[in-house]
Amino acid sequence: MKTIALQFRDFFVSLKLTVVLLVLSLVLIFAATLDQVNLGIWAVQEKYFRALFVLWRVGEIPVPVFPGGYLIGGLLLINLVAAHVYRFKLTWRKSGIFLTHIGLILLLLGQLFTGLWQEEYQMRLAEGETKNYSESYRNNELAIIETTDPKFDHVVAIPESLLAHKAEIQHPSLPFRVVTRAYYPNAALQIRSNAAGEPPAPATAGVGRKLIVTPLPVTYKQDELNFPAAFIELIGPEGSLGTWAVSTQLATSQTVEYAGRSWRLGLRAQRAYKPFSLTLEKVQHDLYPGTDIPKNFSSKVRITTPDGRDDREVLIYMNNPLRYAGLTFYQYQMDSEHDTSVLQVVRNPSWLVPYISCSLMAFGLLVQFGIHLTGFIGKRRRAIA
Amino acid sequence: MLFRLAPVLLAALVLLPACRDEKITDYRVPKEKPEPLPPILTGQLPTGDAGGGSASNMAGAAVPTATGEGLSWTAPAHWKPKAASAMRKGSYAVPGENGADADFSITAFPGDVGGELANVNRWRGQLELPPLNESDLPEATTRLEQNGLNFVVVDFSNDKLAKPQAILGALVPFDGATWFFKLSGPAMLVGNEKTAFLTFLKSVKPAAPARATQ
Repeated sequence: MKTIALQFRDFFVSLKLTVVLLVLSLVLIFAATLDQVNLGIWAVQEKYFRALFVLWRVGEIPVPVFPGGYLIGGLLLINLVAAHVYRFKLTWRKSGIFLTHIGLILLLLGQLFTGLWQEEYQMRLAEGETKNYSESYRNNELAIIETTDPKFDHVVAIPESLLAHKAEIQHPSLPFRVVTRAYYPNAALQIRSNAAGEPPAPATAGVGRKLIVTPLPVTYKQDELNFPAAFIELIGPEGSLGTWAVSTQLATSQTVEYAGRSWRLGLRAQRAYKPFSLTLEKVQHDLYPGTDIPKNFSSKVRITTPDGRDDREVLIYMNNPLRYAGLTFYQYQMDSEHDTSVLQVVRNPSWLVPYISCSLMAFGLLVQFGIHLTGFIGKRRRAIA
Repeated sequence: MLFRLAPVLLAALVLLPACRDEKITDYRVPKEKPEPLPPILTGQLPTGDAGGGSASNMAGAAVPTATGEGLSWTAPAHWKPKAASAMRKGSYAVPGENGADADFSITAFPGDVGGELANVNRWRGQLELPPLNESDLPEATTRLEQNGLNFVVVDFSNDKLAKPQAILGALVPFDGATWFFKLSGPAMLVGNEKTAFLTFLKSVKPAAPARATQ
């Protein structure tokens, strides 16, 4: 009688599991493609593929209804590795299949690492503008920027997720506590009128006193943005310094003065600072003659490092990104009428893996086909002789 | 071997995403120039709508922005686009001298948003001008019809303010919503931009074939 361990092993090794997982992945991709209409591409990836289970909300409780991409991909990976350990025998005649499978394992692992480690930011530059940071597409941060030093700004950046959890924050660089009184993932700002009967402003300092913050439903549409907002109270040892309204629609220009020090604060797209800067020297937007169909977008940028080690011009255009310091800068959007270019800035430590795995799979298939072909030719020759 | 390996792999799959937990960061950067706040919030433009009557209630109400098929336009080359917002369909800075820019906004809200008079008076209120009566409207407004759209255009300025301000505005009913085009800022700059504003209005057309224009 088989032990439980052996049954467990047989389950992971079985070809039936492979077939079931492939069918499940087909269904998952089909459902996710349909749901893209409602959620947009990013939310679909998070819900269906970058998850162990697809969850449906029944009331407030998330209920798993289908295996997600990580679970199916993970099981496929285990299934394939297990099959090689226990089922397949490495022989010369099957070396092509072996190589193809190694390529597939690498592809699955590469996708897992990409999902876990890839970071996508953007850098919006007007012609002549220089920036040494990129900005997140989706994540925001509460930036509390000390401007007391005449040469440097000292930034304490609090991720939006902490505001959403209404965490009370005491940071060693700040002489006050930061308390989130209210947080809205999407909100409209309106100018407060002087009409009677309007509720008092929750903000007691800054421009928030002149604003009404109205929560809006979160949008998942690809061409719409969410504009989060929050009411932030700063509390010093002697008591409250005031409550500020912050929103990604307001610049980080509201000021706080306390104990002889000055700060600016505001909600902004999460920034990733670089040890180098990019200057947009020229944007070019070519159309096919006589049409409005884009032919090519290109951005001429200058990379400079503070130590002077790098100071060179680079042309970034479609399918010709700039790879620098572990980052890849793709030409993403362009507004040539206003001389503005948006570069997509991607950090993906495993970017080479898909190339290696596809080459391995192609080579493996070629080897396998070659072995069969030579065998077939040999057989025919022997038959003729 | 696999029996021991499988749970480890699964646990790794579950736990690895936790490594991406976001943390507070703390760093120094060379001094940066902060972006300015909108003039309407910093007192360069009055925020109140004195004498706005029903318009003042409208300004304070929580109104969703219009959805559905929109309008398209081509902005003059020297207007610099700004990031649109939840309230704004389009946003431009119109450069003036010494950094005194004017602001051009495109917004849209469902329904008639209180009607022509209320909206015209809302704009007058922003310039601290007295409200108009229904009978004053024909004289105070210009009507333009182009690309199947019926615009109501106004040109108000107040030279009695410490810094003279002006508003060039247009509103147009489209597809069950009202669209507002407003250029506001220093009176001199807004006056100089009137031709560009009217040329801009000529470029406004339905993004998709119009379903209802009135």
